[in-house]
Amino acid sequence: MSAATIALLGQPNSGKSTVFNALTGMRQHVGNWPGKTVEKKEGSFAHNGTTYEVADLPGSYSMSANSDEEVITRDFITSGKADVVCILADSSQLERSLFMLADYAGLDAPCFLVLNMEDVAKDQGKSIDVNVLEKKLGIPVMLFSATDTKAYDKFYETLERALKGKTRINVSELEKEYEKIEGYNDIKSSISEKALSGCTPMWLTAKYIEGDKVVSAKLNEALSKDSLSKLEAASKNSGGAIATGECKFKWIDELLTGVVNKPKTSVSLGKLDRIYTSKVWGKPAVVLTVILGLIASFIPALPIMGLGSVVDMLKNVVHDALVNAAVPDILTGLICDVVLQSMGYVIKMLGFVLGVTLVFGLLEEVGIMARISYVFDNTMGRLGLQGKSVMPFLVSFGCTMGGAAGARVIDNWGQKVLTIALAWAVPCGAAWAIIPMLSTVFFGLGAPLVIVVILLVMILHMWITAKIFGKGLVKKEDRCGMIMELPPYHKPKWGALLRYVFGRTKDTFFRVVKVVLIVCLIFWLLSYGSGETDTSILYRVGTAIEPVTKFFGLPWQLFIAFIAASVGKEGAVGVISALYAGTSYGEGFAAAMSGAARAANLNELLLANVSKPEALAFIFAITFNLPCVVALAATYQEIHSVKWTLKIALYYTVVALLLACVAYHVGLLIF
Amino acid sequence: MTELLNLLKDGNSRTVEMLAFELKTDKADVERQLEYLEHIGAIKRVQGLPQPEGCGGTCGSCSGCSGCEGSAAVCKGCIPKNADDNMGTLWEVV
Repeated sequence: MSAATIALLGQPNSGKSTVFNALTGMRQHVGNWPGKTVEKKEGSFAHNGTTYEVADLPGSYSMSANSDEEVITRDFITSGKADVVCILADSSQLERSLFMLADYAGLDAPCFLVLNMEDVAKDQGKSIDVNVLEKKLGIPVMLFSATDTKAYDKFYETLERALKGKTRINVSELEKEYEKIEGYNDIKSSISEKALSGCTPMWLTAKYIEGDKVVSAKLNEALSKDSLSKLEAASKNSGGAIATGECKFKWIDELLTGVVNKPKTSVSLGKLDRIYTSKVWGKPAVVLTVILGLIASFIPALPIMGLGSVVDMLKNVVHDALVNAAVPDILTGLICDVVLQSMGYVIKMLGFVLGVTLVFGLLEEVGIMARISYVFDNTMGRLGLQGKSVMPFLVSFGCTMGGAAGARVIDNWGQKVLTIALAWAVPCGAAWAIIPMLSTVFFGLGAPLVIVVILLVMILHMWITAKIFGKGLVKKEDRCGMIMELPPYHKPKWGALLRYVFGRTKDTFFRVVKVVLIVCLIFWLLSYGSGETDTSILYRVGTAIEPVTKFFGLPWQLFIAFIAASVGKEGAVGVISALYAGTSYGEGFAAAMSGAARAANLNELLLANVSKPEALAFIFAITFNLPCVVALAATYQEIHSVKWTLKIALYYTVVALLLACVAYHVGLLIF
Repeated sequence: MTELLNLLKDGNSRTVEMLAFELKTDKADVERQLEYLEHIGAIKRVQGLPQPEGCGGTCGSCSGCSGCEGSAAVCKGCIPKNADDNMGTLWEVV
């Protein structure tokens, strides 16, 4: 009985393992290649009186030496251990999968070509003329589906032909392409036929041009110094791996001319993608998508927000009950104004977390987020960010906390931190509730101008912040031109999505509740007084530092409101109302935090006590201040860094005061 | 391939379809060129692969955290399952 060794060669997913299993059945053993952690699969079978040893070589992209798999594959073939090499290619994508054959061409080992996945190619409407291809290549070629066990007779027949004829690839056309590379002929003439066993000078020349380290090292040993310096000089302007790659692809294209017939397909985009990738409509379409997403996120959020309001109502009931039971004021305050108040806040916030995570998780699931990312990549790139960053920015117009939560789709940590840091500069919904009101009270018809200036300052703020924080957070190599293969639209996997949404909401609850409780407790303690305005610490501190805060254009009442706005911008107006009306600050603060209505005559109170420059300073101060304690918590939740969370918070507090100062002094010049 | 690399270096984002259109070729041709350029290290894939660092080992308390530090798994609590697949494949010029 005669014997022969077959090596199965192919790129990953070319069907090598299917062929190996079909040929060897149970007669196979698995181990490791000597000195490597790469799996070694060998087996055997008998056919027509010949025993065949089969080596399933590791799946590799090419015959270069870029990985252990490629080195093992190449060494096995050039060592001459294989009597014949079976090269597998995916017939449904020959332009791509024949690259292994092109890279193999020039190795001195008999071979034949197996075009696998005939069924898939047929489904694509492709027909392949094997005879023409065989003629062009000079080696046996067969077309089949490795999963079809009845098709193996054809395989055996092709194998026997290759063994008998010791067939090698006709490389003349490929070499003609290589000869167009500058320096190719000079390099080749320096390499002898026997420079490296198993490799022709053509193959070695191509690999040398590609900068193949193993080939270069072996040529260093085999050639004289003169020859080596000739090689180096000749390869300088060759174009390297790109030049040889182009030759191989051109050779493949010529091989396939007249071999593969396929239905003509023109490059086209779907209707939605035509809009999203349009230079004119892309950005408006994305903005509209995000706005609709934001609105939609209120649908699941509203019932939970309603639950938060129930907690607020419960607070009043508990408060009355505790007062009736003669519980000490301080304990009543702690329970009602700190614990229940915080819980009300957190529950309302959770509604938004759930809504945003669900809606934007859904957008990601169906493939829309990829389009958003693509459309804004260039604009965001200028800030050192990814296209996806636009989503948190747009969401931040509604709620900064939502923006921070939305930043979780950004995979690069530095870019995520920078995105959140910039999202803080976007005035949130609460700010948009206060800015128009205050602007109208103080500036009448000039209010729209104030809003336009705020938007311009926002853009400038984001640009400067990106410059300041970007250096430390985003490396230059993180950014450059991008190519994106847009994923197809598909139905969401609801189970996985909901598990993710509820998991995130639960995590957020436990993390945020701690932060909100602590901050509310601190503010409550600072504002706690025995019913008189001037007994609270905040009052004493506020009046003590007024000479400084005045420089920023903020009298002590406005400065306290500015501090209170750090907890929640919604509270700022209530605090002013309480303070200018002469109410106890402690009560005012608690009332404001509960969302109590402002004093009915607030407009008169403000106009009588606050000058226009001070009002302008206050508007800028609260607009660009730390958004709220919940946004602070959400930021920490997303970036997992106390240092960066505090750094951003401090930065925003300082910048808000600086902007207030500028606005105040500009106001003094104008009014 | 040189033309493709030049297009990629101009800093503008493009889809594979757009590249095919500009190079007057088809999507399959662009894809094989991208595959080759990635293989020789001229471009790198930045998404579409599991992120080896996952959450960076910092989110130990996330529900479903797979404790992914040092493994190729992505933290389930940090990123929705198969989120990368939904974000398309991205390459950047090295």
